[in-house]
Order: sequence, then structure tokens, then C-alpha cells
Amino acid sequence: MTGRARARSRGRARGQETSAPGASQAREPAPAAPPPAEGELVGRGRQKGAPGPYSAEAILQISGGFQQVKLGERGGRRRDFHDAGVNTRQAMEHVKDSKSGTSGAAIQLTANFFRIVSRPQWVLYQYHVDFKPPMEARRLRSALLFHHEEVLGSARSFDGALLFLPHRLHNKETVLHSETRNGEKVQITVTLTNELPPTSPVCIQFYNIIFRRILRILDMQQIGRNYYNPKDPLNIPQHRLTIWPGYTTTILRYESSIMLCTDVSHKVLRSETVLDFMANLRQKCGNQRFPEICAKELVGLIVLTKYNNKTYRIDDIAWDHTPNNTFTRGDKDISFKNYYKTQYNLDITDGNQVLLVSHVKKAMGPAGGPPPGPAMLIPELCYLTGLTDKMRADYNIMKDLSTHTKLEPEQREVRLNRFVSNIHTNTDAQAELDKWGLNFDKQLLHLTGRVLPAERIFQGPKSYDYNPRAADWSKEMRGVPLISSPQLESWLMLYTRRNSNEAQSLLQTLNRVSGPLGFRMQRAVMIEYEDHQESLLRALQQNVGPQTQMVVVVLPSNRKDKYDSVKKYLCVDSPVPSQCVVSRTISKPQTLMTVATKIALQMACKMGGELWSVEIPLKQLMIVGIDCYHDTLAGKRSIGALVASLNQGMSRWFSKCVLQHKGQEIMDGLKMALSAALKAYLKFNNCLPSRIIVYRDGVGDGQLHSVVNYEVSQIMDSIKSMGHDYVPKLSVVVVKKRISSRFFAHINGKVTNPPPGTIVDSEVTRPEWYDFYIVSQAVRSGSVSPTHYNVVYDTSGLKPDHMQRLTYKLCHMYFNWQGIIRVPAPCQYAHKLAFLVGQSIHREPGVKLDDLLFYL
Amino acid sequence: MDPIFSPPLHRQRHQFVIDFVKRNKPKKVVDLGCSECSLLQKLKFHREIELLVGVDIDGANIKKKMHGLAPMSTDYLQPSYDQLRIELYQGSVTQEDARLRGFDLVTSIELIEHLTLADVERFSEVVFGYMTPVAVIVSTPNSEFNPLFPRPAGFRHSDHKFEWTRAEFKSWALKVCLEYGYEVEFTGVGQAPRGQQERVGFCSQIGVFRWLGGRQHCNMLFGDDAEDVFSYTLLYSINYPSLHDNNILQRVLVSEVLYWAEKLKRNWIEEKTGERDDTSTLCPAEGEGEECLRTSERHMEMEDRQTAECGAETKNPGERQESELFWTNGKGQQESCKLRRCVSVPLAVLWSCCPKLSVLSGSLSNLRHVLMDNPEVKLSQDGSAVLLNDQERDLEEEEEDRDDLEDSGYAVCSHSAEPEEDWERNV
Repeated sequence: MTGRARARSRGRARGQETSAPGASQAREPAPAAPPPAEGELVGRGRQKGAPGPYSAEAILQISGGFQQVKLGERGGRRRDFHDAGVNTRQAMEHVKDSKSGTSGAAIQLTANFFRIVSRPQWVLYQYHVDFKPPMEARRLRSALLFHHEEVLGSARSFDGALLFLPHRLHNKETVLHSETRNGEKVQITVTLTNELPPTSPVCIQFYNIIFRRILRILDMQQIGRNYYNPKDPLNIPQHRLTIWPGYTTTILRYESSIMLCTDVSHKVLRSETVLDFMANLRQKCGNQRFPEICAKELVGLIVLTKYNNKTYRIDDIAWDHTPNNTFTRGDKDISFKNYYKTQYNLDITDGNQVLLVSHVKKAMGPAGGPPPGPAMLIPELCYLTGLTDKMRADYNIMKDLSTHTKLEPEQREVRLNRFVSNIHTNTDAQAELDKWGLNFDKQLLHLTGRVLPAERIFQGPKSYDYNPRAADWSKEMRGVPLISSPQLESWLMLYTRRNSNEAQSLLQTLNRVSGPLGFRMQRAVMIEYEDHQESLLRALQQNVGPQTQMVVVVLPSNRKDKYDSVKKYLCVDSPVPSQCVVSRTISKPQTLMTVATKIALQMACKMGGELWSVEIPLKQLMIVGIDCYHDTLAGKRSIGALVASLNQGMSRWFSKCVLQHKGQEIMDGLKMALSAALKAYLKFNNCLPSRIIVYRDGVGDGQLHSVVNYEVSQIMDSIKSMGHDYVPKLSVVVVKKRISSRFFAHINGKVTNPPPGTIVDSEVTRPEWYDFYIVSQAVRSGSVSPTHYNVVYDTSGLKPDHMQRLTYKLCHMYFNWQGIIRVPAPCQYAHKLAFLVGQSIHREPGVKLDDLLFYL
Repeated sequence: MDPIFSPPLHRQRHQFVIDFVKRNKPKKVVDLGCSECSLLQKLKFHREIELLVGVDIDGANIKKKMHGLAPMSTDYLQPSYDQLRIELYQGSVTQEDARLRGFDLVTSIELIEHLTLADVERFSEVVFGYMTPVAVIVSTPNSEFNPLFPRPAGFRHSDHKFEWTRAEFKSWALKVCLEYGYEVEFTGVGQAPRGQQERVGFCSQIGVFRWLGGRQHCNMLFGDDAEDVFSYTLLYSINYPSLHDNNILQRVLVSEVLYWAEKLKRNWIEEKTGERDDTSTLCPAEGEGEECLRTSERHMEMEDRQTAECGAETKNPGERQESELFWTNGKGQQESCKLRRCVSVPLAVLWSCCPKLSVLSGSLSNLRHVLMDNPEVKLSQDGSAVLLNDQERDLEEEEEDRDDLEDSGYAVCSHSAEPEEDWERNV
């Protein structure tokens, strides 16, 4: 869904009457209330002559355990997580025949994909079902039709109007007779309307639904989109965390065939209710700050309810509601307390707890009726899932988690194989698959990738190679001067009395390490501040002047509020590059040299210094990186950041950040940012770039079409605004980090991660896209995750090989890490900027900082 | 077809059963003719029930939604003492199956009218004579109500073999009572319009049967195991997670112990250092490199105090519990110069501050016993305290191997600079 549509649906949800989740569907006796349909349904009223209101919801509904999945007929646009409807490759002449690169050495890989060995000529037959006289209730229609199992067979799927069968009925038109409970005779006409080949989107959607049934048969629990095994949990008692192992599964049409992509996934759950969590929090932070802190912690989290196995996102807290409040159910008012007692026999012990609010997304009310209002949830009946930001930032928790969840490539491969063999050996699961004639390969997919040669790093007068397996050159760069570094003449260092020793030794060490880097610094003005926020702010106000080049602040702890106020002041009120250091980091003498070197490098970058470069064979090129940050607080504003290169070496960058306003596409603001970047490039180079390559990160599942249909034209508009005769070559590449594809290399008989620089552009790519995978980074433990690149627009005519290599080169250019990173540097810069603004500043940084990497 | 009833009639019937369950708290309940398990779906929330069984002759019907009866995710997160097992069988109510004997409640909702009269006889024999439950709820349409429906005469459903008047139902029920030793009470759901209730009765008539013999007697009937018959096919069975399961109990207990022990340790450290735990606040990373380099200044301070605290076991009755925690040196202290430090949390302290532990384990010695066998918990030598590693120490060790990055058998690919290429030219 596009951002605009999201805003729309949010707007609609507000001010509606509230109801308990599930209550609005109270008509249905089924335990799991039908989930709301997602997105807009194409084909409303398509069924000509089909009677009654049901034609409006001509969607195929199959219950797959708890969760019911809906099919848009003929693959119409529903919630399309896999962006299957977007076909961009056909518009790009130069990759129509081949999108494969050529450089590098071949490497044999396996991937976490299993081929579907479907029955030959597996065709799904679509029928239209007509009732005479017309029957209103969908359930009744199903019941009447399914009287005829001997004709239809047991494998079938019916939504009230459309029937799908895996086999062809004898006649094109079949007439059946049924009788209702009231003795009314009904004539049912089943007419064949379509044959769906194995590759049609409906068929593929179908495979997914069947596969979900299989997971259910294997006794797995659905949470969100994935399935988990609750029988064998891993506990981290210190934090009340429970981890369930599970799998993500997707069946899709990939380059060579339809395959099942499956990855090991872990779900983090909390073995305490939201009420427990709130009580703990109140105890910790006191009554006064509780409402604010509580909202901060909870909003945006996903909860799992005790009574219907559904997940809800907490959007708000209703401080004025308790379980004693009532809502309208049917024609009566009922209190939440009574509702849960009568409906689920659940006692609510705390009658004073406040309620949680979840804006159920795009809920479809009863046909044509008003959509249901937000769901009110009882904290006592909700369990938290996932991690809070606070937990994510907690080194100990993350360490504990990763020891449980990080799987070495070998372990991961074993788990995947075990999963598929479980399916093959479970008789019930096999029976279900056999019913539909589906079968999976027993082996992981084998494919060939390529490993790009390592890049040469140019740094000042020298150049060097790095160890390609480690993808890191922190050792190699020691003692080599930087390409360019600023003169640091006027700068401040702020510290508290307690940390004055640390501050002094940091200052000395900085002086010592900056020399070899060619980074000349004068002595800093040392300023002591009291350990509270106002004092720190006052110190800044009094000492930061127009000539100040850099402010270093030694913070006594990593409390966010102090950090935020420093950044806010020095980015917005009085824009100066700044560097915060937590005193703990510099308290150990034996690591101080290393730490100080890193800090010195960071300071140099922030002031416009250039650390290193790689060879970029394209001239007059501007690389643009875009990323978003979604602020769950502060009115859920999204923040978009755009970072554009200013020089040939990709070492100077122009950065701009925009705060999205309500109901606005993020790109509307970024359009202005791109124009500003082009102007900056013009100023820097005395010419405009002749080619522009945009790397767009932060595109969610199912949002690809909005990038293709909306953003690309916005980018072109922005370019046009520079002059009518200005027509640079443009490429737009969507970058995706959170994907479930994994690759394994088999080296010397051992299963390992593919080496950095591994490219995969066949088999597991998508036929309708110009896409490829790069494993650019090296990981020290666990399995590496490849990054997916999807070139959605390209008038550059650049060969796929060059596109891949350029992308890989750009992964070398992130100055805050002396190694190769997961995404092209501008994406990481944009991410950093958006994160800083979204987390700490909440406003647009001063213009003065635009051509500095001040946010590193 | 039930537009005149609100709530709908089928729901009223289910509610009738639920109300009965709430009042009588049966432990073993079977629903005959469970169809798509909609009644079971509601009953599973009533956790006084320990065994919930559904039987239907149509296995495909059961299978449709049977997975909906599985426990919910949250049932695994905080298991209770309640036990629940659900079983679904394909089978005919006219056949005996030993697994269905000795229940507290048998429900047969709108079932008997689908049987021929001969089969109703068999049904009576099987249910009242063979299964001999404590209570039976039978509902069936009341044909006297039918004229009130705005539709042609005839049965309410094409598959109905008969629809009884109140008198007919009564005579069958009384006969059953006489024969098998039950008493019956007649009621129903679906009120007739005002003024007509007396004349036509309820839309669905219900008979609630109760065994006259008392529980004792009815159990004794099952002495003849030799002839047990198993004519039904088990389609689905699931045990709900419960603390009665020893594995689950152990897991919960250990989690609880470790949680509280860690919590006490943290509180204690905070108190001693007079500082809030840093890790509980957000720390935006200033740079990826720095993130990994965190040392514990606190740790240093600890070292100095350690000696002083070590024996601080002063057990003043009124003093705060935290003071009873103390640092200890690991067993390896003597032979190794590397200090492995632990925080020791006495079980007695845990016991007193976490009431859940006593609920879970019953007695302190039992708790100790359970923990002793568990590999996840380290106890002191005499088993009186839980030993926890000092985490900060681990953290430091982690940092040591930061720079030890070595190749692991990877054939180094050549990375010499390639001859210059002109990318532009290819355009």
C-alpha cells in the first residue's frame, strides 16, 4: 500500500466507534473472526448477473487454520507482499535477453530454495457458480454446493461465486440440484470460466495457501506471516523472553521455476502480559513519568492476544478507558470485562488498567457498511512480541539472543533440510500435498554465482589491497594519511568533573593519533559541565560560536536525553559538527588508542574530510542514496533522507533530510532535496551530472509498485526542473536488506558463507525484474544475508555486469566502517541521517551542514 | 432460517450448554455430532474441563476446522495448572467405543432427529446404557413450533427423519430414564412469541438427563475391560500445555528462578554503585566501531569493594534482602589465577520475594531438588544458593577476540587490479 493510502486508512479509522476485537464479527459463530480484507479489491461487481451483495466481495477465501488468506481473483492487486504484479524488466531493452554479469570467478552455491515438482500439466480450473433462486448467505451457498462432493471431489475452494478445482468437470456446464433446510429446491449451475496455468498468480497464491495448511498440520503456530514451533522454546529468563524457532516460507515464480523459498526464523515472545510489563515499568520510572515512558515503549509493538491468536499493533493507549467501559455489540452495550467473560470465559482481575488501542488496518466492515473502529485491547489479555527499541539497544540482551538465534551456515542448512524432510515424512502433510498433486524437491537448490575481485583502496598517496575474506582494511590503513582532512583550529571538548581524567587522556591520544592521519588539530578548549541536561545545554550556548569547527562531548552514560539535546542544539540551533563519546568507551587505557583513532576518523569525516576511495570508472556520475525512517512516535511521521555524491571519488556527499507531513508521499519532499543536490553538484563541478543512479532503500514489502509508478516520475520531474535540455541518464535501483534468500558456499567440504563480492543473478532472481543479489559484507558469526538489488528503471544502458560492480564498489565507501558494508554507502549515510533526525532531532538540520557527513 | 431469534437459535443452544458447564463444572465432556466443532471451540475456554471430545460420523467435516482447536500461542507462554486434552473421533453414535465411557457430560445437540427411530434406540443404548455419563443434554426440534415458521409444512431440514412434539420427546426421555436409571428435566431455547409459549413450547426442546446412581457406581461398571471395543477412529488429539507436565513445570520454574535471581543481582549492583543500570537507557551508537568497545567502569570499582562485601552476610532481620547477596569466587579460584566471579543468590531470598515459586514448587527443598537436576542453573555446593555469572566479565572477554579474524580455508581469489576498462564505451 502506498503511504498515501496508509494515511487515508488511518484517517478513516479515527473517530469511529470503538469495539472489542472480534466483537464486530460477532455474527459469525466461527472462533476466528474473519480477518479484514486487505487493500482494494479489483473486480468489484465484475460478476455480471451474480445476485446479491456478495459479488462485491468476489474474493476467494480459504481457511488455512486460524488465519484465512484471501485471494484477489485473477491475481488482482491485493496485499501483494511479493510485489508479483510489478513487471519492470520488459521496459528495459538492454536486459530483455540477459541480465547476467560476467566478471569474477565462478563459485558453486546452494540456496534456501526448493523446487516444486508439480504434477505435469497442473492446471487449476476456475468455475463460476450460479444459484437459482439466488441465495443470499455465503455459508448457505457453500453448504448447498458441497452437498455434491461426489461430483466436485474433496479438493476444492469456493468463495460464494468462484470455485476452484484441481480437475476438470466432465462438462463445461454442470447443473446440480440441492435443497435447503426449508425444503426449497435450488438449481446450481457450475460453469467453467478459466483454466489457470501453473504459473498464473492465482495458482501460485494457491500453493502458498496449501503450504500454510501443511505448516498447521505440522502443529506450528502462526504469528504474523510466519509459522513457529511452540513445543521447543528457548528461554532467556533474565529478560522474560521466549524464542520460538520457525520458518518463513514463500512460494513464488523465480527465474527458472516455481520454488519454495524458506528460511529459519525466530520469534521473540515475552512470557509476561502487557499488564505485567506496565506494572514493572511504573515501578521503575515512577508515576509521574510513567504515561510518557509507557507510550514510548509500547506504541508500535505487536501484541498477541490470549483469546484469538491474532496479532495487533499498539497504536495508542487509551488512558481514560478501563475494562469497565462499554462498547456496542449487536444492539446492546456490554462492558469489555463482561464481554471477555461471556465470550471467552476470561476473568479480568485488574479493573483499573488502561486499554490499548489498535487501529485495525483497512478493516472491511460488513459489505458496504462503515468500517469498524479501532480495536481496544486489554493489557492483561495481551502478550508482547518482538523486542522494544530499548532491548535492541541493550548489548546483553542482544548477545543472549544472538547466541540462541545466530545460526552458522552449516546449522542453517541442516535445519532447512530437516524442515523439508519433516514435510516429506509426515503422513498427514504428505496426504494434503498429494490431494493437490503438489510435491517438493528434497534438495536445496544448487546454483552458480560469481565472486568479484577485491577492490583496491586508494588513500592519499598510497593504495593497498585488503584481505578479501575479511572485507576489512582497518589494519591496512594504519599510518597512511587520509586523502584530505580539515585543519582543526577551533574546537571544544565538554566533560563532567567525574570524567575529567578520561577527557584529558582522550585529548592527548587524539593529538597523538591524528598526526599520522594528516589531520592537524590545535588544542581544544576544555569545558567542564555539571552532570545534568541544563548545564550541558548552557555550556554549549555559552561556548559554541560562529568560528567553532567541532564540539566533542564526553557523556557520563549513554542516556539518550543528553545525547538528544546535544544533537538537537548542534544540528538545528547552532549547526556545528559534533562528536559524542560515552565515558565508558574511553575509560580503558589499553583500548584508548584504537578508540581515539576511530573518533579522529569520525571527526575528520564530519568536517568534510575524505578518508579513502576506490576506482570509479564512470565520469560525471552522481550517486544518490535514499532511505526512510518511520517514527512510531511523534505523530508517526516518516523521515526521508537523501544523500548524493558530489565528486568523482565518491568521498564528498550532499545530504538532505525531509520530514513527511500527513498525507504526503515521502518522495514529494525528496523531490526538492534532489533538486538541491543537483544544484550542489553544479556548484562543486561546474556542470551537472550526465548520469544519475539512485539507490532507493527502505521500500517495504508490497510497496514496489508505488516506487515504480510514482517515485520514478517524481525523480524525473525533479531532474527536468534543472532545464529542459538537461536529460541525464537515469537508473533507479531498489535496495532490499530484509529478504529471506540465503546462499551457502561449499568450500573444502565445509558449508560456509559465500565470500564478500559474491553475485547471484540467475535461478533465484525474478523473471519479470532486472535484479541481482550481492553478498558484500563479511560476518564473523552466523549466516551472511545477501542484499537484493532491483533495477526498476534504467536508461543508462550500463551493462548488467557494470551495474553490479559499481554497486559493489559503492559498498566500500562508508567512512564509518573500514570495510565493506551491506548496502551502497549512500544508502547507509541516508539511513544514519534519517535515524538521527527521527530518533533525536525531530527537525530538519541546519543548511550549513548539508555538504558534511555530520550525522556519522 | 432463524431470523426471528436473537441471538440466533444455534447460539442459544450452545449458550445453554455453556451455562450448564459453568454451573456443574464437568471434567470430561463429549459432544456427539460435533460437526465443524463449533461447540467445542467455545467449550475449550472453560478450563474446568480436562477432557473435551468431539464425535461425528462425517470425518471430513471435523477435519475442516479441527486445527482451530489447537492451543493458542499464548497458551504456551504462561501455562497454567489447568489441563486440557482434546480428542476428535470419527464414529457413529450407534456404536460403542470404550474411550467414551465415564464422562461427566454428553451433549447431543440437534442430532437424534437425523437418526432413524431404530438408530435412536441404539443411540439410547449406547449413550445411556454403555457410556453412562453423569449428565446428558439432548436437544431436538419441537414440531409443535413449526407452524410458526413462515414456510410450507414439512421438516426443518431435508435430512431430518422425524421431528417430535413435546409429548413424543417426553415419552422417549422417560422411557430412557426408566430403563437406564436417569432422571430428566425438560426445557428448551427459542421462545415462542408472546402468549403462545404455553401452546407451542420452545423452538428447540431440550432434555437434561442426570444419572441417579452417583459417580461411584457408574465407575464400577467399567470393570469388564476385556470386552473394550474401539470402533471410532481418532482424527485429532492435542494436549494443552500445562504445569502438570513435568517438563513444562521445570522450564517455568527455572525461568522464574533465573529471572528473579538476575533481578535481585541487578538491584544489588545498582544499590552498591549508586547508579542506575546504564544498559536500561537507549544508547544511540556514535559509530559502529565504538559499539563493540564497551568496558565496565563499574566493574573496576567492584573489584576494590569485593573483599569488603564478601562476608557481608549480616543477617539483620529487618534489612533489605539485597544485602544477603554476595560475591563469591568460583570454584576454580585455587587452581587458576583467572578469577571467575559469581553472584550468589540464596534460594531462601528468592523464595521469599517471588511468591510464584512456592506455588510452583511447593516447598523449598523441592525447589532445590528440581534445580539441582537442571543444567541451566548453577547452585552453590551446598545447594542453598543460585550462582550467577557476572556478565560484565563475559563482555570483556568478548572484546579480546575482536581482532582475531582469520581465514578459514577460503581460497583467496586474486585481487590484483584489473586492466583499465572503459565502462562508458559500452553504453
